[in-house]
Amino acid sequence: MDTPAGSQVDVDVNVDVDADDDYDEVPLQHKRPFGSGLHRKTVAFVPASDGDGCLNSTDQVTAPKTQQVDVADLYLSMVLPKDNKTTKNAVNVGEPGAVICEVCRLPLESEPASAGSSDVDNTTTATSKTDGKKVHEKSFAHQVCLPHSYPPSALDRSRMGLSYLSQYGWDPDARKGLGAAEQGITFPIKATPKYSNLGVGVHVPKNLPPPKEKKERLLDAGKVRKQARKDKHKAEIIRQQLFGNQDLEKYLGQGAVR
Amino acid sequence: MTDYNSESSDPSKGVKRTNMGEDGTKDSKRIKTANGDEQYNPYLAHTYEDSSSQQNGFKSPLDQLERHNTTALQMTKAEDGERNPWTGEPHSQQYFKILQSRRDLPVHKQRQEFLDTYHSTQILVFVGETGSGKTTQIPQYVLFDELPFQTGKLIACTQPRRVAAMSVAQRVANELDVKLGEEVGYSIRFENKTGPKTMLKYMTDGQLLREAMHDHDMTRYSCIILDEAHERTLATDILMALLKQIAARRKDLKIIVMSATLDAQKFQSYFYNAPLLAVPGRTHPVEIFYTPEPERDYVEASVRTVLQIHATEPEGDILLFLTGEEEIEDACRRISLEVDDMIRESDAGPMRVYPLYGTLPPAQQQRIFDKAPEPLRKGGRPGRKCIVSTNIAETSLTIDGIVYVVDPGFSKQKIYNPRSRVESLLVSPISKASAQQRAGRAGRTRPGKCFRLYTEKAFKKELIEQTYPEILRSNLANTVLELKKLGVEDLVHFDLMDPPAPETMMRALEELNYLACLDDDGELTKLGSLASEFPLDPAVAVMLISSPEFYCSNEMLSITSLLSVPSIWIRPNNARKRADEMKAQFAHPDGDHLTLLNAYHAFKGAEQQGTDMKQWCHEHFLSFRHLSSADNVRAQLKRIMETHDIELISTPFQDKNYYINIRRALLAGFFMQVAMRESSNSKVYKTVKDDQLVMIHPSTVVTSPYDWVVYNEFVLTTKQYVRTVTNIRPEWLLEIAPVYYDVDTFEKGEIKSALSRVTEKVRRRQAIKGSGR
Repeated sequence: MDTPAGSQVDVDVNVDVDADDDYDEVPLQHKRPFGSGLHRKTVAFVPASDGDGCLNSTDQVTAPKTQQVDVADLYLSMVLPKDNKTTKNAVNVGEPGAVICEVCRLPLESEPASAGSSDVDNTTTATSKTDGKKVHEKSFAHQVCLPHSYPPSALDRSRMGLSYLSQYGWDPDARKGLGAAEQGITFPIKATPKYSNLGVGVHVPKNLPPPKEKKERLLDAGKVRKQARKDKHKAEIIRQQLFGNQDLEKYLGQGAVR
Repeated sequence: MTDYNSESSDPSKGVKRTNMGEDGTKDSKRIKTANGDEQYNPYLAHTYEDSSSQQNGFKSPLDQLERHNTTALQMTKAEDGERNPWTGEPHSQQYFKILQSRRDLPVHKQRQEFLDTYHSTQILVFVGETGSGKTTQIPQYVLFDELPFQTGKLIACTQPRRVAAMSVAQRVANELDVKLGEEVGYSIRFENKTGPKTMLKYMTDGQLLREAMHDHDMTRYSCIILDEAHERTLATDILMALLKQIAARRKDLKIIVMSATLDAQKFQSYFYNAPLLAVPGRTHPVEIFYTPEPERDYVEASVRTVLQIHATEPEGDILLFLTGEEEIEDACRRISLEVDDMIRESDAGPMRVYPLYGTLPPAQQQRIFDKAPEPLRKGGRPGRKCIVSTNIAETSLTIDGIVYVVDPGFSKQKIYNPRSRVESLLVSPISKASAQQRAGRAGRTRPGKCFRLYTEKAFKKELIEQTYPEILRSNLANTVLELKKLGVEDLVHFDLMDPPAPETMMRALEELNYLACLDDDGELTKLGSLASEFPLDPAVAVMLISSPEFYCSNEMLSITSLLSVPSIWIRPNNARKRADEMKAQFAHPDGDHLTLLNAYHAFKGAEQQGTDMKQWCHEHFLSFRHLSSADNVRAQLKRIMETHDIELISTPFQDKNYYINIRRALLAGFFMQVAMRESSNSKVYKTVKDDQLVMIHPSTVVTSPYDWVVYNEFVLTTKQYVRTVTNIRPEWLLEIAPVYYDVDTFEKGEIKSALSRVTEKVRRRQAIKGSGR
């Protein structure tokens, strides 16, 4: 490679590769905060001669993982103990004799990625095997079979009630209730207030347009006058029906009483 | 019966008393000398005793019986005797009449079977549908088998409701031909009607729990019967868990769990697969109808259904289930109006409509047992009655003659949310079990029909299987305090049938911690132990206990009693304005608590002047019934305070601090129920720490918009209200409950800034005072 001219390009490529690796492999807790290296001088890189840069970089990343010096690692190992175990088990199984993954009960051999890596070199079978394992662990079938781990409970740990209950062996993160066999409900019963008279089984679709308000009709002067005349006539009839005296009307003739 | 009361009964009663109280040795000595009996055998003490009662010419057949080895035949013989086997008095005429009807009950046929099972086991699950007679008969069967005078131990039978305990005790006293309060008694909150001779005690489940606080092993009882266990009240659930523990310690204690529904397997497996005995009820088939489509308006639909039944179905009374007082009254009005129209237009028969709900005065509740009206004219269509009820008619009250049931599928249910600390009554769909129970009400006298105002699909898919037991829906502060007092420390593994959510439990512990009833480690404090002596909510009890510090314990005692009875204010629909005017006479501008107190003082004042109190209450739109029961509660609470040496003092009325002291004393218990106004010229308040937006309930007398109020209860209807409020000052909060009102623990917001302003003000004022000195 042409060093003086291509140095710029080289760096660019390497940055790209690094970024990709970060995205894939580096766990969140190992990521440097963004911008922490901006003021330092950039280090120039060259691609590895093996041609398989990915492998090296993943190895580098996994090395500190096993040491577990980070607080975040410690925390993760507490919260997700099972996860770690399964990976360890899987590594054990990855010995030459065993070919079936313990978690998902699928053979490790038939991975397309491992087949690809074995093509490159026959001497690096061990590394290609671990690599195959990694690919396998990433596979959908394996992931589905992993025991699901839950995030810790959102309860405030400083609560007096919690400390009392945990004193008697209740674990807020275990997703268990109270009771002799911790069989009780884990969350309080919820109820939704009901403001309408809708019967059982009636479901109003949520995105219903709001009911249209009736527009008030504006009356012009003529309509008002007409309405008033109508009302007056009605009142007159009622008045006559209630208070009218038939004998008197007969005597005086229609209209006289008015 | 009255004829025999004078002379013959007294000696025999005396004998029984000694018999119950002491363990026989002293008596037997006396008998020995009297009869010159040489072969004294302490195990036959009761038979010796018997020989002494022969002086009255009566030999009780019970004395021959061997405890836990009796037969139904022996018992019926004892019951058939001329004289009462328990008192030695001749039976009254009425007794045999009742006895005959008792023998007709379904339970009677299985008396021997019951006894056999009872002898063979410590815990027994008994299933009998309503009407089988289990509540009245089983305790008597046990009584004849336990023979309490031999052991001096009682039989307890718990009921979820006060009224049931009272009325059943009365009924059983009649059946046994004894006086209520002597051999058979009852014990409910604020009322105890038992005597030294009591052998069988009906009581509310809560009352038995309270007794257990002082007698952890329930040593007074030889048999405990938990009735209506299917209702799964809070106290029954706790009792079951407790009895499960006690049964392991006390092998001589027998337990019977009685349930009316068929899900008894759950009880059975809970009590280590105890034997189950089932008695068929006296029920007829009920035809069930569903609507083809869901109903848009269930109230409207239920009114129409009732009218439809009236128009088309043959004779028989109707029971309609609705949710609340207002809805029921409204439906009653609508039905009566429509029926009047029907009579006019289509010659329908007359129909009388009765509402039924918990807060209805007893006299009006009694009206539901009236006979259906006669036809309007001879040969006309038959009349019927229609009862519109809350779910109290579902299990607790049995009304004969119901043939048609209309079930819209809703009921009001209490729900407690531990996050917002709000206990609310919400209209929610009922459970399948509850729907079946409702339908069963139609088949009490003859085959009936049940009309469900929902589709069959909705019944299958929308309704839950069982109603949630109360323990999952309640604030547990009181329960936790009781459990701590009962010596239950491990609240996590306490063997409840349905353990509550951990959060609810945590909230209860924290509430008690703030009230200083529990210390930071969750240990019961002296205050907590004292508070548990009061049959009140912990907050109220703490308020009462700390009231002497504010020089107003007499007044707080009155307020507490007034708050623990239903509302004393009456506001009839046709005289709302007059009622409000009358209430305004008692109003205190600073709040409803003080207004209550004023009304009570006026009541007591008028009483002392010898006024006709019923009339006085009627004129002032006050409930005489509730005021007198508040008076009774006050006397009870006063006795408890006196036994625990809590001073009863008052600030002189002329003192300007009279009302201020009371307002401050309220905060000693209710500091967790405080709301602050959102902003000036707003009517909306925000509750402290729970951040609920509320309005003051329109029933309040408070007119000026105070910034800070303490409230007695949170009401959730269409809006969120706080009811019974009194104005307070924020400085008092910091002073009286400094831990709860530690500003640092508050989340950012208006309340926090308001409180820190107050803190600053107080600090500055103190500084000025300090420099002035």
